[in-house]
Amino acid sequence: MNGAGKIGKVLPAVLFACLIILPMLPISTYIINVVTIIFIWSLVATAWSFMGRFYLVSLGHGAFMGTGAYVTVLLFNHIGLSPWIGMFAGGAAACFMGAVLGYACFRFGVIGDYFALVTLAVAELVALLVVAFREVTGGSLGLTVKSVGTSPWLFQFDNRIYFYYIALAGLCLVLFVWRLIDRSDMRKALMAIGEDELAASSLGVNIIKNKMAITMISTFFTALGGTIYAQYLLYISPETVCGVGVSLSIPFKAILGGMFTLWGPVIGSAIIVSLEEYIRAAYGGTYTSVSQIIYGIALLLLIMFLPKGIFGTLKEKFQKK
Amino acid sequence: MGEQLLNALINGILLGGVFALLALGLNLIFGVVKIIHLAYGQFVMMGFYIIFMFYVQLELPIVLAIVLAIVVMGLVGFLTQFAVIKPLLSAPRLNQLLALASLIVIFENFALFVWGADYRGIPFDIPVIEISNIFIRTSSFIAFIGALVVMGLLYLFLNKTYLGLAIRAVAQDTEVAKLMGINPKTIYYVTMILGGILTAIVAAFFVPIYTVHPHFGAAFTLTAFIIVVLGGMGNLLGGFVGAFLIGIITSVAAVLTSTEVAEIVVLVIFILVMLIRPQGILGTGVSS
Repeated sequence: MNGAGKIGKVLPAVLFACLIILPMLPISTYIINVVTIIFIWSLVATAWSFMGRFYLVSLGHGAFMGTGAYVTVLLFNHIGLSPWIGMFAGGAAACFMGAVLGYACFRFGVIGDYFALVTLAVAELVALLVVAFREVTGGSLGLTVKSVGTSPWLFQFDNRIYFYYIALAGLCLVLFVWRLIDRSDMRKALMAIGEDELAASSLGVNIIKNKMAITMISTFFTALGGTIYAQYLLYISPETVCGVGVSLSIPFKAILGGMFTLWGPVIGSAIIVSLEEYIRAAYGGTYTSVSQIIYGIALLLLIMFLPKGIFGTLKEKFQKK
Repeated sequence: MGEQLLNALINGILLGGVFALLALGLNLIFGVVKIIHLAYGQFVMMGFYIIFMFYVQLELPIVLAIVLAIVVMGLVGFLTQFAVIKPLLSAPRLNQLLALASLIVIFENFALFVWGADYRGIPFDIPVIEISNIFIRTSSFIAFIGALVVMGLLYLFLNKTYLGLAIRAVAQDTEVAKLMGINPKTIYYVTMILGGILTAIVAAFFVPIYTVHPHFGAAFTLTAFIIVVLGGMGNLLGGFVGAFLIGIITSVAAVLTSTEVAEIVVLVIFILVMLIRPQGILGTGVSS
């Protein structure tokens, strides 16, 4: 084992230990909040990269995140189903949507830009449906999770720190799944498909089956992220969990970090969420629009000058040495 | 109901004319520069605000305001090509898309900063044309005729001038165009400037119909996309037909149900076309 490999093994373990201890240290709850949000977006961005790294670029993951969030909250508010169970219902719903969309796209050979545009349209469609069924979903005004006080079984806690650990656990799970996929035969099949679909199919790789599988895994975990996000904020609206804005922000995070690497989406999410928070804190309030302009320019520059993502570029440099 | 439907049909056709012009710029940019201009609707929004600024805030004559908006938006098109698209021409597709998506954030917040979140309209006192129970807004009618004239001029430009020929050549085959002594980079600039100018013209026709706000653009990007896809990406004639279809469907579905359902119907049509006929209704080949 070379030095780089050792660092690659030790560093995450140290980082993980630090993150476990972090909330016990005397630091402000604000920091804990920001880190929790970073975990949730990292989870979603990593789930997105399950597909993204095989050139299945979805610009519609807001649809699945929104489904996870809305199904859970609606089931809880209307029939009192615990979000712990609801999250699997939301995950299953998103998985089903992913399967239908995936089958339709892959069956008709929709790839590349066209796949990106179809998924983008699906995200907008879900947001429009949420608005159209406003009697049930609360429309564009959003939906508040019914408060029941402290009840761990119903996913509501007296302390936000619980969410920190739940989000961290979710993130670890998704990173673990990334590893599992990376070591599976499915990865080889999907790599081959991503490079040359025709060649892969002539070698007997089942294109539709493999693509469907990865799409369903990705959408399931994205919905899971949506559930945690909804329970954490106790409020959801089409603008914050579905729609085009969210759908574009997810790949943004993954690509900035480096969509082909394990840690890329996490690093991208950490940087973007921190940047958003910093700009909001520094120039927020009266100059919200100015802070957003700076944010947009920062994104543009990062995309233009680090096309492989921050972690991707670093990794490449490191390996060359 | 019958009269209402006829009304919706006629207004749909009028709307389709403006939509056709709206989609034309996006289509041209896709066909020539081979880039999906995600911030196209935001360009229209900027054009609208610039006309508003010159006409209402600086009290210039409306024609001068529109001409100035055309100049400014042409410049914005040039700058976008220079600063964003040119450096990314050989970058992965996804990075191009996201770079243009970050322009959305920049433009919308720029508008929010300069003009605020209020809905801004330009009051025009324009009568409604009434022909035996059919009401047509004169503004829509002017926009329709205007859009057709601009498209006619653009058609002449593309077919009768050397520059137009060069643009079509690059759209058809960039490599061969290069062999014929055309510099594609120059053509990209021309196309992006033309795209910018078109957004200002579209904005000018929107002025009497809509009020503008910072998030005004997004819906029009989507509409333009749907039209372009429906007609086949890069297929200008297809886009023209698609625009009228979408105009009519939007308008009729809105009368039969509600505006929201109309939007949903249009999106579902878009998704189905993408799945079943990605080359568009008039397209011939599928680009890979």
